[in-house]
Amino acid sequence: MRESVLHCEGLRKRFGDIQAVNGVSFEIASGESYGLLGPNGAGKTTAISIVAGLLEADAGEAFVAGERLTTRSVAAKAAIGFVPQDLAIYPDLSAHENLCFFARLYGLSAKQAHARTEEVLEVVGLSERANDQAKTYSGGMKRRLNIGIGLLHEPRLLILDEPTVGVDPQSRNAILESVEQLGEKGMAVLYTTHYMEEAERLCDRVGIIDHGELKAEGTREELVALLGEHDKVHLTGTGSLEAAANACVRIGAVDAASTGDGSIELLVKGASAALPEILTTASEAGVSVHSVEVEEPNLEAVFLHLTGRALRD
Amino acid sequence: MKVLAIVRTELTRTFRWRANIFFLLIMPMGLILLLGIAYGNSNARFGVFEKGDGALAGQLVKALRSEPGLDVRGYGSQDSMEKAVERGYVSAGLVIPSSFDARIQAGKPVALRYLARPDSLAPQVRIAVESAVSAQGSDIAAARIVRGVQKTSLQGALRRVKAVDLAAPASVELLSARGGKYPKSQGQFDRSASTMLLLFVFLSALTGSVWLIETRRLGVARRMLSTPSSAREILLGIVIGRWVITLLQSLSIVVFSGLVFSVDWGNPLGTAAVILSFSLVAVGAGVLIGTLFSSEQQAGPVGMIVGLTFAAIGGSMAPLDTFPATMRKIAHVTPHAWANDAFNHLLVNGGGLSSVALDVAVLCGYAVVLLTLATWRLRRVLTA
Repeated sequence: MRESVLHCEGLRKRFGDIQAVNGVSFEIASGESYGLLGPNGAGKTTAISIVAGLLEADAGEAFVAGERLTTRSVAAKAAIGFVPQDLAIYPDLSAHENLCFFARLYGLSAKQAHARTEEVLEVVGLSERANDQAKTYSGGMKRRLNIGIGLLHEPRLLILDEPTVGVDPQSRNAILESVEQLGEKGMAVLYTTHYMEEAERLCDRVGIIDHGELKAEGTREELVALLGEHDKVHLTGTGSLEAAANACVRIGAVDAASTGDGSIELLVKGASAALPEILTTASEAGVSVHSVEVEEPNLEAVFLHLTGRALRD
Repeated sequence: MKVLAIVRTELTRTFRWRANIFFLLIMPMGLILLLGIAYGNSNARFGVFEKGDGALAGQLVKALRSEPGLDVRGYGSQDSMEKAVERGYVSAGLVIPSSFDARIQAGKPVALRYLARPDSLAPQVRIAVESAVSAQGSDIAAARIVRGVQKTSLQGALRRVKAVDLAAPASVELLSARGGKYPKSQGQFDRSASTMLLLFVFLSALTGSVWLIETRRLGVARRMLSTPSSAREILLGIVIGRWVITLLQSLSIVVFSGLVFSVDWGNPLGTAAVILSFSLVAVGAGVLIGTLFSSEQQAGPVGMIVGLTFAAIGGSMAPLDTFPATMRKIAHVTPHAWANDAFNHLLVNGGGLSSVALDVAVLCGYAVVLLTLATWRLRRVLTA
């Protein structure tokens, strides 16, 4: 059995009237990648901030590498590499200077800091531009530098808060490949995203979070199994999509419905049998259907099933 | 080690931006030069029109020229000198009549016409002129006695009187009300250098708050807190970094003004204590502002306004001696007033380290309060 690197129990955090995190508990073992999947505002960043030792929880506790985590716990933080959602680098320093600076803050000696900086520059592919100021880098290069800082002290737990937001597809792929390799090296990875594909590709286990609550967690297969015989039906068309979605959800076989950009997504039990009624209902609601697709359930369908809304909502 | 890494980064970032070198180091020198030229020369300009060319009249002019605090300028006519007084080119003027020597030789009184502007320097000039005239009057009185005894000319008797004066010159020592000795008069740039140092160090430290805000805005400060570094270590690094920058600025002002303008900074230990403590207050205030505001656009102007207001109230724009008593008390709400007092003890009264102990202690008190508040605020804004 693999050793637990992060253990959270009943984390709660309230900001005024908003309960941002409400009783979140999960555990990550060494070498495991755990994804927190949820839409914007679901409470992912607040949960991550508590786990990174940046925010004090109102209730509950977290342990990293056996050390109790608070905003003041230096020992627990030494085991964490944190990569924030927004870039957190000095733009007027070079990649080398940024990495050396943070390496010293992670407690590395001057010699170790220089050695690790060279290694990390290789890992994130910035060796050739190491001495240029970060403000001259492309968005993807800055993102890679942002991630590199979290790797400097070879942490036991790497926390990545939506690291691919606003990144071009090529850089995004490079980032995802790097994260896959880290998991293989035995590092525990906590990854938040609202991109279903990233969670499916990277994470051994996924926790689905919405309105501050962890709705479900498990491997992809375990989560999809929660849907039972459900299929995902994807309709594209023109007209009153919102009204059609509301009408469809009243059909017995339809479990949940949401609208997107010129489309309706439905979670349907026994799709082949229910399809004629769905098309009739949509048509009566004033939608001219252009295409119908029945897909195998994925994490997005699970999210729709558990929360009644789509990840992008 | 972590603290040193933060200090090093603060210095690298500050001096990488070349404009900072101008604002921190070059601009203060320029202002010291300008203000020194404008206000530093404390000698009052004084006009003399000498109608005759007698020896006694010449001796009076010579005596006036040797008066400390008087910058004597000769005029070719009474009219031109009167115009100079009217237009403020000179603060006052003296007309020495053509009959000056003859009347004195004959033992008759001489009337000297004295013209003055109603400005603040007039009383000082009048005292200096009266002193020179009275000294000559005493010499002449003594010479008349000598002439009566030795049957010699008045000039010969005067020479004997002067010889006696030279052999046993009177020694006058000016003492303050508290018994302290007044030192030599200050140079042209001495006062402007110390007040400009205080003004610029405080202003630079306050406007330096934008660096902390930028570090927060970039998310770097928060990321620093996610490392195994305490808020205290982070703040200590930032404070020491900013402190080193203000000390470098102070040192450059002291060295440059000393070498180029011959400014005498008085007792080195006392001056160092004042600069160290005042710089720390300035850094504390700057860091606190950096934790109170969330954008550089807010903090920059606030720092500028607070810096200039404190400098004005605290005697860094006009000497505290010129303030009314109540205003002088109010001025001591600012650290500038304490630092200016300390520089007065050092530069005007020639005091040592002990003479500034109270001022330095008060400044250290300011620093402790400001830095405690800044630590509390920084932790709060980073973990809220």
